[in-house]
Amino acid sequence: MNRTPDLRTLLERRKPGYSLEAPFYLDPAVFEQDLKLIFGRHWIYAGPEAAVPEDGDFFTIDIGKTSILLVRDGDGGVNAFHNVCRHRGSRLCNEHKGAVGNLVCPYHQWTYDLKGALMFAEHMGDDFDRKTHNLKPVHLRNIAGLLFVCLADEPPADIDLLAASMTPYLEQHRVADCKVAAQIDIVENCNWKLTMENNRECYHCRGSHPELTRSLFEYGFGYAPTPETCDGINEYNRILEERHKQWEAMGLPSAEIDHLDDRVTGFRTQRLPLDRGGEAQTMNGKAASSRRLGEFQRSDLGALSFWTQPNSWHHFMADHIVTFTVLPIAVDKTLVRTTWLVHKDAVEGVDYDVANLTAVWNATNAQDRQLCEQSQSGIASPAYEPGPYSPFTEGLVEKFCNWYIGRLSTEIG
Amino acid sequence: MMNTTLANLAVPWDGDRDDTLVCRAVRRETHDVKTFVFSAPEPRLFRYAPGQFITLELEIGGQAVQRCYTLSSTPSRPDTVSITVKRVPGGAVSNWLHDNLEAGARVKVRGPTGAFSCFLQPMPPRQKYLFLSAGSGITPLMSMARAMHDLVQDADIAFVHSARTPDDIIFARELELMACNRDGLFRLGTVCERRGAQPAWSGFNGFLNLAVLQNVAPDYKERLVFTCGPAPYMAAVRTMLEGAGFPMAAYHEESFSFETLAQEADEEAAIEAGEGAGFKVTFSRSGDEVDCPPGQTILAAAKAAGVRLPISCTQGLCGTCKTKMVSGQVDMKHSGGIRQREIDQGWILPCCSKPLGDVVLER
Repeated sequence: MNRTPDLRTLLERRKPGYSLEAPFYLDPAVFEQDLKLIFGRHWIYAGPEAAVPEDGDFFTIDIGKTSILLVRDGDGGVNAFHNVCRHRGSRLCNEHKGAVGNLVCPYHQWTYDLKGALMFAEHMGDDFDRKTHNLKPVHLRNIAGLLFVCLADEPPADIDLLAASMTPYLEQHRVADCKVAAQIDIVENCNWKLTMENNRECYHCRGSHPELTRSLFEYGFGYAPTPETCDGINEYNRILEERHKQWEAMGLPSAEIDHLDDRVTGFRTQRLPLDRGGEAQTMNGKAASSRRLGEFQRSDLGALSFWTQPNSWHHFMADHIVTFTVLPIAVDKTLVRTTWLVHKDAVEGVDYDVANLTAVWNATNAQDRQLCEQSQSGIASPAYEPGPYSPFTEGLVEKFCNWYIGRLSTEIG
Repeated sequence: MMNTTLANLAVPWDGDRDDTLVCRAVRRETHDVKTFVFSAPEPRLFRYAPGQFITLELEIGGQAVQRCYTLSSTPSRPDTVSITVKRVPGGAVSNWLHDNLEAGARVKVRGPTGAFSCFLQPMPPRQKYLFLSAGSGITPLMSMARAMHDLVQDADIAFVHSARTPDDIIFARELELMACNRDGLFRLGTVCERRGAQPAWSGFNGFLNLAVLQNVAPDYKERLVFTCGPAPYMAAVRTMLEGAGFPMAAYHEESFSFETLAQEADEEAAIEAGEGAGFKVTFSRSGDEVDCPPGQTILAAAKAAGVRLPISCTQGLCGTCKTKMVSGQVDMKHSGGIRQREIDQGWILPCCSKPLGDVVLER
């Protein structure tokens, strides 16, 4: 009978440049360690601030058995708490999102204000000390309108480096001045790492994503030079250089920053030109919203891409933003939440059309789900063995795996 | 010999020295609204900006109380001033005035003062105004409208007043008269929550909304807005106008009768004294009807009548009792258990809401 080797052995024998061994995708014990050591100790992207536009608006995210409640308080800030009543532990908010006056436990109506302080608990007697029963806070960082949470007692401090690097890139898109135009959750029947790995390469794009590749240059994510592709690659590099000069001159940081596998809080960014209309990831490459973000005077600003370890990617355009949150549900189940943001004053049906805004990524998500689920099935076969990554187009997959293996090896101690 | 009360013989009224007014007449405007007309003991000429208020200093039950009331009169008829007062359930002062103040009585007074007046703003030719009022919030706007009318100002006024029923429209006939006299420069709309005793009421029904506004003043976005009424009404007006893209720099509002400022203390006194008739609270699903005495919360009244509501904190904190209000108005003093947008959608917390009229709740 085959037995899964222990995690330490798996980590030690991981072969760089190759995909991970099957237990990383199949073994519930490894999944438990992923929840504890990766999702429990690193900064996790929860969602955009625009998901809670008004006081009392909240949303929740689940990381394994941990439910985290993010709520906007009366002073305009956002707070994160464990979604657990301090009385007998009931879930406080059972909806995925909504609005509340105060946070009231549905069981016995213990009532907390939006900063987590217990305001009311009936029948508890004179000796009961309310102050020692406030909601348990969760670390929260709001980086230019993107909300990151961390369950660790001591969260990784290098989130400051991420914030310092990314804020100049993000701030002109005024993420906090956006509203959610659409949000769609899909559940992929695969391990969360397959979802992330699939995101980190465009090797598969030409064969699988006819909608996405209408505006996305496939050369933007690495390409093996051959006599046939040489001209295309050169042309793309020329456009990239030209656009970067143009954008930098406009005060839009565009250059690549890559810390995907050399930091605890790994990330990468780059502003990329778009094909066709050159304005947005839409079917015709034209802007999806006529109300531009921030102070942008033009729509053809490409797409600022931003990737974080372990669970998000984002595309910031002049007219809209698409942001993705990946959350593990089970060893073979993963939630992918896609959120489309437009300027908060943009009017649906007038300035933008939701079907047009979401068409490319709805199609792409459906295709990616199928690809990831097929991977999950194939990896479950005894015939699966780790295969080699393309040195040209799968460098970022390798960085994801490097980061993951490195972080697990360190955290497991 | 000319009558000595005529303005041309009078000297200007000086609020610092002339601290007494004599009630000259009491007019009944509606079943619960009265106008009290005052002049000075000696002939005096009243000059003030329409929309301003005076402060009455009264002695009620051996206690000194002060209350501010907007002048409903116009300075273009300067020999007298008047205030128009609605009975507030449990309101010690408004009820005292209604029950005790008669012609011949003297009151101590200070003022006039206040900044809620279109006459304190630049008034270019053909300035366009939108006056929005509810209940006795009509008084400052009536004062401005009367002054414009008397002075034959060419200002263009659209006046939309909200009332509970047609019988509750204060100054109904005078508003119609001004609409007739001002040759297209005074457009009037009245909105009633219910038909009441007027089954043939042909004005607008329900609450003020954009459709009514469009109907009365399609150019409302070009108008300077002056609003006065209960706090929930004004909150709803603000939300409506903001939502419609109205330039809020052109929006002005006055808080409702200053009576509300000190109402809580009054209400406690009223409960002790057991005065006032109270209101009916109807629960539309269960069919229960309870009487809510003045100053009592809906929850307390329901409890006393044996009607059970889901409750917990009873302080407006937890929102457990949150209920949709089908009709009526309440004075709600919550502590964060309900959001403004819920209030705007008609939700209330019965544990901290006191009826301002008959109320129907969806329970």
